Amino acid sequence: MTPKPSSVAELQRLLSEASARKARVGRIDLTSLNRVVAHTPEDMTATVEAGITLAALQAELGKHRQRLPVDPPGGERLTIGEVIDTHASGPRRFGYGTVRDYLIGLTVVLADGTVIKSGGKVVKNVAGYDLAKLFIGGQGSLGVVLEATFKLRPLPESEQFVRAACDTLEKAEKLIDAVVGSELTPMVFDLHRLASSGPAPLTVVLGFAGTREEVEWQLGRAGELGLKEACSLDYEAEFRASGVASHRWSVLPSRLAGAVRELDGAPFVARAGNGIIYHGGARVGGRETVPSALMTRLKDAFDPGHILPEMQ
Amino acid sequence: MQIDRPVTISSQMVDALCAIVGREGVIYGEEELLVYECDAYTIEKQLPNVVVLPRTTEEVAAVVKLCAEHQLPIIPRGAGTSLSGTVLAVTGGVMIALTRMNRILEIDYRNRRALVEAGCVNAWVTNAVKSRGLLFAPDPSSQGACTIGGNVATNSGGPHTLKYGVTTNHVLGFEMVLPDGEIIWLGTRPDGGEEVDGYDLRGAVIGSEGMFGVVTRVLVRLIRAPQMYKTLLGVFESVDDASCTVSDIIAAGMVPGAMEMMDQLITQAIEAAYHFGFPLDAGAVLIVELDGLAAGLERQAERVIEICKQNRAREVRVAKTEQERMDLWKCRKRAFGAIGRLSPNFLTQDGVVPRSKLPEMMRFIRACSERHGLRIPNVFHAGDGNIHPLVLYDERDPDQVRRALAAGHDILSKCVELGGSVTGEHGIGVEKIDFMEKQFSKDDLDAMRTLRRIFDPENRCNPHKMFPGSKRCADFAPRKQIAA
Repeated sequence: MTPKPSSVAELQRLLSEASARKARVGRIDLTSLNRVVAHTPEDMTATVEAGITLAALQAELGKHRQRLPVDPPGGERLTIGEVIDTHASGPRRFGYGTVRDYLIGLTVVLADGTVIKSGGKVVKNVAGYDLAKLFIGGQGSLGVVLEATFKLRPLPESEQFVRAACDTLEKAEKLIDAVVGSELTPMVFDLHRLASSGPAPLTVVLGFAGTREEVEWQLGRAGELGLKEACSLDYEAEFRASGVASHRWSVLPSRLAGAVRELDGAPFVARAGNGIIYHGGARVGGRETVPSALMTRLKDAFDPGHILPEMQ
Repeated sequence: MQIDRPVTISSQMVDALCAIVGREGVIYGEEELLVYECDAYTIEKQLPNVVVLPRTTEEVAAVVKLCAEHQLPIIPRGAGTSLSGTVLAVTGGVMIALTRMNRILEIDYRNRRALVEAGCVNAWVTNAVKSRGLLFAPDPSSQGACTIGGNVATNSGGPHTLKYGVTTNHVLGFEMVLPDGEIIWLGTRPDGGEEVDGYDLRGAVIGSEGMFGVVTRVLVRLIRAPQMYKTLLGVFESVDDASCTVSDIIAAGMVPGAMEMMDQLITQAIEAAYHFGFPLDAGAVLIVELDGLAAGLERQAERVIEICKQNRAREVRVAKTEQERMDLWKCRKRAFGAIGRLSPNFLTQDGVVPRSKLPEMMRFIRACSERHGLRIPNVFHAGDGNIHPLVLYDERDPDQVRRALAAGHDILSKCVELGGSVTGEHGIGVEKIDFMEKQFSKDDLDAMRTLRRIFDPENRCNPHKMFPGSKRCADFAPRKQIAA
């Protein structure tokens, strides 16, 4: 049965007992710890417990016309703890970055039940080491994220998405290069090919956010490049829900088209601006990793009994 | 383990270092070493035993390995513009200055990346790419001198962090030499994708104040330069009015590139030094810089002017030309330099408070100034809540030195009390060690020590920084210290 602690003390006890017994801890359900601890609109910061879902947080922030501009699909189920553990991101990554760029304070329960904090609730802070970074994408392997403080962004006055269908990869590549060379500053810069796509299988998507004037000016420029058809970002959720195995492949952005060629027709969604491809079919391409000796030392130091999950 | 006695170095060791980097790359005469006795935090000073100036990563690695074999402290150093004693050789030791490794190695315009050596000066990067409409976002006031390696060590900010973030948001990866001499690469590689599997060790090293190893090459992210800037100068009767303006601009849903405030004392000093035309009787001036696409910027500027007026601004000036804008920023970035006209010495603080607490913090600083009988001008990153009170004193008067330190202490304690931080961009170094226990619990600090041991099990890299219990210069060589 998945443990579901209802208090910090209970979570601490769960971990310290497991550490003492050297017993592995599986998934922990943190959805009972789901409060918005503080949202200070005038500071553009918010502190939340890890069990709150991304969608619930956005709803709360939206009341003050603010948001955490991180948009992985499935925000109705995905908790903030999971967003941090998996470094989850979505289509707006090109313009806004990832949760790494917004996390300014983190509280974590370590394997032995100790609670530690790093950072704080101010937007600029270099006191002490930036421990929080270790937990972003750490898959819960060094500790359990308990509470997070984010800097926020105002909701833009306007946000619009446009797309263009391309019947060949060469045309898509040309269009992507034209966008890169233009004065456009899109927030979304994607290329996708879904299993359901018709005869023009590749789609380039741009998204713009900002003042009405900024967005309108950009829509005009995008139109000149051939990106005219208004659209939504539903393709992201459709792809993730389609059940095709999703592998992540990160390449130099200029090598995106070459990488897509190697996918051999498999469906994919790519952050074209970032060079990140999520694809079905067989895994392609090598993966970059950090030096393994440091990885091992870090895991051994923070979780000596190896009771928490291992990094995959 | 921590080296806690004064280091001595044999002439054979000096010869061995000369064999690695050449005789002209080794400094060991006391006269020449004086340059390296402190950074811009001048209250504590200590000479390293020797300074080496390597030209390649391999030379750095060989020096570091030699030091490891002889159990010698190593102290990485960039341009020495840090403000917290971060590069102080507390016990002496071998200082590794990266200033000769200062080249821009590659610029990849298509992928918006540049690979530079750690000693490359911050401003050189933007200067090299601006003709192609790109820039490197972190822009500390010392950007004409400070190095990219130093930016990595302190996770440097600058006025434009409000919109663009700090160094950690703009460094993709780097090469570093671990304290045992091993050369590793962390984060994104120059020809690789931005996602890297495994722990974000790159992120953990950025801001570690040179305590994890010696960064030798850095891959930085370049961003598109704004199509247009709109730079406004609001003149206010009081710091309170200017602070409220900052909050109101944020509340209106705008994110300016920068919002910088200067109080009356600093404005007067700047005016005397640079003759910009600042009013001498205004309580505060606020620089608000909007940037981005030209479309819509005019309407945002009008909104900012309106908000300034609502907060009783006496006038709002708009920079009409790029030259006017550059002049304004020159005044702001050289503000510390203008202080020489007011006082022989100053102590800069670098506290942060939540933006909404700025008015309260400013009132506290005024009271603090009166209590300690010292003038404290203010120039700061208002949009981030990052204050830089400059406590003026004369180091020839021991009582003034004591009062300056006490005033600084009071101000930083107040920042912590208001839910802020004792440092927004300058780092802990030796200066703020005593505050670590105020801001963090013992468990927090233990976790940080654990992280340090992953990289430097012998605590030999830039020792006696950051953590309570570290030795101070006074423990070794009182002759190098002023009475404090």
